Amino acid sequence: MDSQTQLDIAKLNDADRKELTQYLANEAQKSNIQQSVHGLADICWKKCISGKISSGRLDQPEEACAQNCVDRWMDTNFAVLKHLEILRGQ
Amino acid sequence: MALFGSSSPAESTPSTSQEIKASLIRQVQEEAAMSNARNLIGKVNEHCFEACVPTPGNSLTTKESTCLSQCMEKYIGFWNATSRAYIARVSKESKNLGGADLSGLSM
Repeated sequence: MDSQTQLDIAKLNDADRKELTQYLANEAQKSNIQQSVHGLADICWKKCISGKISSGRLDQPEEACAQNCVDRWMDTNFAVLKHLEILRGQ
Repeated sequence: MALFGSSSPAESTPSTSQEIKASLIRQVQEEAAMSNARNLIGKVNEHCFEACVPTPGNSLTTKESTCLSQCMEKYIGFWNATSRAYIARVSKESKNLGGADLSGLSM
């Protein structure tokens, strides 16, 4: 791990530098999405999985609940923003 | 840090541009995977403790251990379902706005 900090970034040529910049932008976006999914899974687990856990498999109603939970959460997001617009216009 | 990742011993120090790039990408990949795994395990711990150990005793019972294994598998399945739903929705919304198509993205 220590040797990795000694990389000489100045030796990167323009093409590789450009490729890396693009790669990092993609990774950052992926990481943001993963963060959102962690948050959503946290919220939706509380709403969708109640009672005893009797199997390791995600059953059909639970999967449907996850889907609905995510969609309604997004709807809520949009609804809040929309109403905020109205409030701002008053 | 190299709990899951390869610790790649005795690897020569990257010197060409190509090698430096490859090395950086590998480092970022390892760190991203590690950070994602740490987040996931933290949530599994939190939710499965809640679900499986209602009244903590002197030690974990067999029933609690079984519940924890099942809960962990279920949480990972649930996370994947959430991820699919979120990506599908975000990519639908951004397509409506004429933005980027994220439908090829998967985690």
